[in-house]
Amino acid sequence: MTPGAFLATSGLLGLMVLAAGAYGLGYTASQLKRSRRWALAAAAAYAVLAIDAAVLIAATPLTPGWKILVGASALAYLGIPPLTWRYLQRTHDQKGAHA
Amino acid sequence: MSRSQGLAVKYLAAAVLFFGVMTASGLMSAVYYIDPNFLFGLLHFSTAKMLHIDTMIIWLLMGFMGAVYWFLPEEFGCEPAGIWAAELLFWVFVAAVLVVAAIFVFVQWGPGTETTLWLFQQGRKYVEAPRWAAVGVALVMLVFAWNVVGTAVRAKRITGIMAVMSVNMVPLVLLYLIAFPKIDNMAVDLYWWWWLVHLWVEATWEILIGCIMALAVMKLLDTSRKIVEGWLYIEVGLVLGTGILGLGHHYFWIGTPDYWLGIGGLFSALEPLPLLGMVVHAIYDAGVHRMKTTNRPAFYWTLAEAFGNFLGGGVFGFMITLPQLNLFAHGTQWTVSHGHFAFWGAYACGVLAVCYIALQERRRLAAVEGPGWIWAFILLNGGLIGMVGSLLVAGMAQAFFERAIGGSTLDAFIAGQENAWFQLGIYTRFGFGLMFSAGYVVLAWNLLTLGRRRVVVAQPLPAE
Amino acid sequence: MHYDDPKFWRAGAVSTTVVMAIVLVMLTIDSLAAITAGGTHVPAYSVINRHIDYVYSDKFGRDMPVLGGEEPLFGRTRSETEAAALIGRGKLVIQSRACMDCHTFMGNGAYFAPDLTKAWLDPAWDAWLAITGADTKDEAMARFLMSPDQFATWERKMPNLAITRDEAEATVAYLKWMSAIDTNGFPIHFGRIKVEQ
Repeated sequence: MTPGAFLATSGLLGLMVLAAGAYGLGYTASQLKRSRRWALAAAAAYAVLAIDAAVLIAATPLTPGWKILVGASALAYLGIPPLTWRYLQRTHDQKGAHA
Repeated sequence: MSRSQGLAVKYLAAAVLFFGVMTASGLMSAVYYIDPNFLFGLLHFSTAKMLHIDTMIIWLLMGFMGAVYWFLPEEFGCEPAGIWAAELLFWVFVAAVLVVAAIFVFVQWGPGTETTLWLFQQGRKYVEAPRWAAVGVALVMLVFAWNVVGTAVRAKRITGIMAVMSVNMVPLVLLYLIAFPKIDNMAVDLYWWWWLVHLWVEATWEILIGCIMALAVMKLLDTSRKIVEGWLYIEVGLVLGTGILGLGHHYFWIGTPDYWLGIGGLFSALEPLPLLGMVVHAIYDAGVHRMKTTNRPAFYWTLAEAFGNFLGGGVFGFMITLPQLNLFAHGTQWTVSHGHFAFWGAYACGVLAVCYIALQERRRLAAVEGPGWIWAFILLNGGLIGMVGSLLVAGMAQAFFERAIGGSTLDAFIAGQENAWFQLGIYTRFGFGLMFSAGYVVLAWNLLTLGRRRVVVAQPLPAE
Repeated sequence: MHYDDPKFWRAGAVSTTVVMAIVLVMLTIDSLAAITAGGTHVPAYSVINRHIDYVYSDKFGRDMPVLGGEEPLFGRTRSETEAAALIGRGKLVIQSRACMDCHTFMGNGAYFAPDLTKAWLDPAWDAWLAITGADTKDEAMARFLMSPDQFATWERKMPNLAITRDEAEATVAYLKWMSAIDTNGFPIHFGRIKVEQ
């Protein structure tokens, strides 16, 4: 791995998780506020994540196994906020939020 | 207030005190990078650093203990078993920490003998304290475990949260025994040392803070126990499911077989996933309650916990965890950047949230308000993010110039340290360290004085 | 649904933890065999009697330690028992002086001073022969450890830690042994400068 490729790959990996966080924030805010603007922000954040993952897979010197991990992580990050949200709704609706 | 809560307040106060020692010694450590002749011949970087990282462990541990002693009577409906022993050992613990700090400063080292390890210095990172002190810490933790588990036995009932905490006590205490041996083979030494360090801060401590945050959220937001317990079990499953074999990310380069590159890299890369779930959960709680609570600082510090854990542990960790990248970044300021952010987010913020929860009840405040906590929050988090960003720049420069280009020799190390980007990071780190230190002073003042000052409203004089 | 019941998630947490812990224990048993002195990755302590090199292996795609012919340390060949005792003494020195709070060992420790994993192989020692007036690298290293403040070559100096002659020899032995550990290629391309393309 060249020095430049190392720095770029590290940066892309960090950006991927950061974008996942932004997507999670945007998704949850859009559900809470029923806001289209937040939903668009969430989509934009996930778009950044997806492009980032694509660049990691297509253009970095990671070996195939790690590229599969990057792809699988990108899909997992897509599903985590909606799944978490749905389960939060379910548990709070059923039991009542308050003791 | 129960005896246990009285002890909790003492532990939380001691935690904040040692947080101050950590901050001061951290600032000192930063000076050595700028002025290499600073206190040369008197007090060296190693001593400042030792004080810094050891008081970090101590203040967080005391914070956890304070939090647990605070919530224990409410969870069990009675005083903890063996509270008298815990009360006694608190003073022993604090005295021992102070004596060890004095030894580090005034004695510093001894000859290369077993006696030195028993009396002055063990020289293994985070567990430098001499063996006599390690015996004391082990005793304190055994009594702590007794206070939790023994109370469950005595009360003949246990909540889900306390059951998780009780089971967690076993590895928490047993792992500390790794602080004792002197192992000649560095590969074997580091192998076991990482069981202590990683399985504390990326496993058993995560469970402990998870339990504490569960109790805090029940108090702050009046959330039902059943909801909180369900989520606690999910967190335990995900954190331990990724973190136990995530231990392998410390086994890339210490002489262990290369299957750890794959195993450690894979499980470590999965560790951010549950942290994203925690961020979603935190925002949900904030949104559903419309940020309304009678204890805003506690709530904000709880949110900071979720975000800080994700950013510091998840984002910063993911940048350097794949082995082919870790090869360059391992043992550089990049590691320091990640470490500071992760510890702050995962643990410090949570302990500070509990400080404010205890403070509200202790001083019988209907609401916790005022500008003090806001300034402390801004200065501490701003300072921390600034330090972490600075160290990221320095670390990237080091990894690039010393390792990737330089060939990792002594000359490459020096070239990396003298690199302009590295130097920039070192100077800005110090600046943000000052900001963080100011935040600490405001925090300590705020915790000391909140709710204590009475505002006297001047009465107009009666008309003549 | 069963996943509405916290007990479902409790069972999941317990089973996940148990499975992962069992796997960790199994891997530990295997790893300990490899990293015991004389194992596949960590040399016997008597390696201090031999020449050590660090060479790129095309087969493994990384640097590997290579053991050469006889090269006694401080002019003396030691038996396995003597070498183990010397290494044990070296570790006592390293712990008693808290070297790990300035230096790193296989990247672990503090980052104020250089990593010592391959310090025995560092090309800088050639210059230190002249600086310390020593005839051999091991002698130069020992003289440096006993008076590091006198042989500083950089503004960041190592302090004098009152290391005795015996302790210095033990520490040098430790560094020589440690440089022969197969660290899966860490630190990256040691001693070779890479030009950015």
